[in-house]
Amino acid sequence: MAVLGTIAVGLAFATAAYGLLAAVVGARRRLPALVESSRTAAYSLLVMVVAANAALMLAILSNDFSIRYVAENSSLNTPVFFKVLSLWSAHEGSLLLWNLVLAGYLAAIALRFRRKPPETLPWALAVMYAVSLFYLFLVMVLSRPFASLAEVPADGRGPLPLLQNHWLMAVHPPFLYLGYIGFSVPFAFAMASLITGQVSDWWVRITRRWTLVAWGFLTVGLTLGALWSYAVLGWGGYWAWDPVENVALLPWLTATAFLHTSMVQERRGMLKLVNLALAVTTFSLTTFGTFLTRAGVVASVHAFTKSLVGPAYLAFLLLVLAAGFGLVALRSQQLRSEGRFDSALARESALLGNAWVILTLAFIVLLGTIFPVLVETVSDRQVAVGAPYFNQVGKLPFLVLLVLMGVGPLLAWRRSSWVQLRGQVGMPAAAGAAVVVATVALGGRSWAAAATFGIATFVLVANAGELGRVISSFARSNRRPLLAAFSAAVTRNRRLVGALVVHSGVAVAACAIAASAFASQTEISLERGQQVGFQGYVLRYEGLRPQPEPQRMVLRAPVSLVQAGRSQGVMEPALNLYPAASEPIATPSIRYGPLTDLYVSVLGFDENGQRATFRVLLNPGVSWLWLGGAMMAFGGAVAAWPPRHRALPAEDLVLARPLAEVG
Amino acid sequence: MTGRLPWAGLALAAALLTAAAALAFAAISSSENSGTLEQRAHAVAATLKCPVCHDLSAADSPAPVAQQMRAQITEELRAGRTPDQIRADFVAAYGEWILLSPPQRGLGLLPWLAPGLLGVAGLALLAVTLRRWSRQHEADPTDAAAPELSAADRRLLDRALAAARGEVD
Amino acid sequence: MGWRRWTALAAVVAGVGLTALLLGSGLGHDPNRLPATLVGRPAPDFDLQAIDGGQRAHLAELRGEVVILNFWASWCVACQTEEPALRDAFERYRDRGVTLLGVSFQDSATDARAYAASRRIPWMLLDDPGSRTGLAYGVSGLPETYFIARDGRVSYKAVGPVNQDLVNQQLRRLQAEGAA
Repeated sequence: MAVLGTIAVGLAFATAAYGLLAAVVGARRRLPALVESSRTAAYSLLVMVVAANAALMLAILSNDFSIRYVAENSSLNTPVFFKVLSLWSAHEGSLLLWNLVLAGYLAAIALRFRRKPPETLPWALAVMYAVSLFYLFLVMVLSRPFASLAEVPADGRGPLPLLQNHWLMAVHPPFLYLGYIGFSVPFAFAMASLITGQVSDWWVRITRRWTLVAWGFLTVGLTLGALWSYAVLGWGGYWAWDPVENVALLPWLTATAFLHTSMVQERRGMLKLVNLALAVTTFSLTTFGTFLTRAGVVASVHAFTKSLVGPAYLAFLLLVLAAGFGLVALRSQQLRSEGRFDSALARESALLGNAWVILTLAFIVLLGTIFPVLVETVSDRQVAVGAPYFNQVGKLPFLVLLVLMGVGPLLAWRRSSWVQLRGQVGMPAAAGAAVVVATVALGGRSWAAAATFGIATFVLVANAGELGRVISSFARSNRRPLLAAFSAAVTRNRRLVGALVVHSGVAVAACAIAASAFASQTEISLERGQQVGFQGYVLRYEGLRPQPEPQRMVLRAPVSLVQAGRSQGVMEPALNLYPAASEPIATPSIRYGPLTDLYVSVLGFDENGQRATFRVLLNPGVSWLWLGGAMMAFGGAVAAWPPRHRALPAEDLVLARPLAEVG
Repeated sequence: MTGRLPWAGLALAAALLTAAAALAFAAISSSENSGTLEQRAHAVAATLKCPVCHDLSAADSPAPVAQQMRAQITEELRAGRTPDQIRADFVAAYGEWILLSPPQRGLGLLPWLAPGLLGVAGLALLAVTLRRWSRQHEADPTDAAAPELSAADRRLLDRALAAARGEVD
Repeated sequence: MGWRRWTALAAVVAGVGLTALLLGSGLGHDPNRLPATLVGRPAPDFDLQAIDGGQRAHLAELRGEVVILNFWASWCVACQTEEPALRDAFERYRDRGVTLLGVSFQDSATDARAYAASRRIPWMLLDDPGSRTGLAYGVSGLPETYFIARDGRVSYKAVGPVNQDLVNQQLRRLQAEGAA
């Protein structure tokens, strides 16, 4: 199996090298046959990488402990479900998965552009092949998943306890990778247009849907990561500002900015430089992110154990930065705006302002993440940057961003009028103000939370109002009843409706984050049979219930719950003892609710389980976070959904159809 | 009114933002000095890092060390020590890295000042750029004669143009 | 090529160079290494009782002796690897003005007692309720060993299991200091 896998990786590397060569030569010498050959090579590459992944998977499932990766990350006792997951639970295997997703995107591009390939396709393919070559090189030379052991052990060590605790491990990394790696597509097309000098708006139109899809995947990946932190790690929160979490957030932020500024380029032919820079930045950030995660530069919960890949990643990152930004600098003269700013009160300025705020937020996150490294390099001190910093400094830009999310969709392109805007903004603003007053009146002492609730309400009402206007104007102009017009209006205005849903999702998520200001918690030690009251609940510790499992021992601490006199069942937080871990892993027990979550985790046992220490939290609004994340992903899907009759855009601004046909 | 940069509006926005920022900074420390003992201990612990965890604060972390830090902080608050004194004690034992925020002196000022400076610089850049672009517009009289479209009509026109351009949508 | 392009290119080169410097040097550092702030400063005082409930140990009263303060726990696997070195140091230096003390960190009293009895640990093991002493010394992992000079200053902090060479080296240094 190891031999098969190694051969597959080697063949994949050769295929990618061929693809790169064919694409570059075909582009320079104008040989369409060679370009076509390079395009189809993507399919072969995918087959090879799939084969390599399958080889590793089979090795894991068949308990082939002669392979070091299998011996270190799987064991005879590991349940099949987690065996499958161990394909990506450690460094080498996850790199193999990375290559799979990358090859998948390459093949998807090859498939999408098989008819009438655009002129920039060869260079885009070349860039994608070059990126593949780097990651295949890592897997082939530096972090070999098929490396074998001299002595074959009888049993493997098994996955890290934290990684075989929960089914979320099945979905969180794949979605994250699908998002992360997807950003190489806009990067490839941006580089292609820079290399060929064809800095028209075309590349933006082409890649918009791809960027949106990658963004959607990353949104899901981040939400799942937050859910993991909340439901699995057991500390009661969903975001720890861990460096690896932060670097996953960074490209999401810049991609969001890109999705907005690209609209300005599509409609008005402006902000060309900004868009190219953002595409390069987003991909650079994904490379930087994977560097930070795997090179051992920062200490993190997520960090894979330090490996040899650090210098290689750094070299690749520097190459990407130099090539990307260097080309942008070289071509900057040609990136003149075609349009003008007619008025400050227009959607263009809102979008530009939005990009600025997002970039400020991204800068804050980036600076906070690498500041410890910076300080240690310059002086010999060590500092830490954590939640207090990010929360304090990021609060204001985030609120400004929320305001823009409410006002932006209400502004028309080129020029809006104050009068018209006042009319549209009036009701949402009034609703927002009412919510602020209500929050303070109900005893909410946090100005940030009240402000967030108010602005989020403003965003929700404004976006809902805009959606209503879209539907009603569609109904009016097509002389259809309102309800029947709904689905047709949505289908015809996918991007706008998608955007409105996403904005609403962000507003809901913002409320969830703000609501954490009203969380309450307590730590209590209970004897068996003893009970305690907390926020209207009565909790009683029923005694230790150990539950042996093949790969671990689970110590359950059932706690019976009574609220307002009525029994609410039993919550079972647990401590998991794994042979490999020196400390137990806590599994919290959570009662999810639409308004509040009751969160109980057991911190420790005393006197053979007669006494247990619990941590009980009442977390308001956390469910809104999952709802908001789902809304964002859904909105992204709506916006990205392809129309029924889809043609590649003409490379020039030509009227393809007479105006009369347009509904 | 339309087409002219609302300078007064921008100035007002900047003033409001500055006030809000000042409030934001002031609001943070207040929870350490008010509320029940448990709440105050929690607030102080939230500014300290759990020494055996990677990023969690002593308030959030379930680790036994963190529990004991919380207990110690509660004791010291009860005995009348101030949050700053408690923090100084931990820094003496562990080092600067036990604080979850970069210290506000020397190189540590960078992360506190940089975002604010960036924000202000951005606003200024935005204003200058918009002004430059709008001045170009004032020099061009052709658009002045264009009729004012209603919002609904403008949207219809936008969509028609976009579809006609064959946008990938 | 206008001057604007040159400045843009120069900015890119500078940016890439800075990134290379910063991240490259970051590669060289171990992110899990923590600085020892107590070294050179007076050792925090403690007055703790032995885990078997007998004697007490008060650091202030041990002024004039060299003190080796070893933080350990019964669940700490790495602590077992340094036990022979500590045992050797205890035997060799106990009558030469060196006191070896163990302080249990994040451990239950019963487990600590059982462990000590089963391993027959000869030196005094102290119970640290609430880990006050551990927190005062900035313990963030196990094992950690502090070498305290005769004048009460912390002379050296060892993170991780100690070996015989290190212990002998530190003790020789401390004894030489005292004599001079």
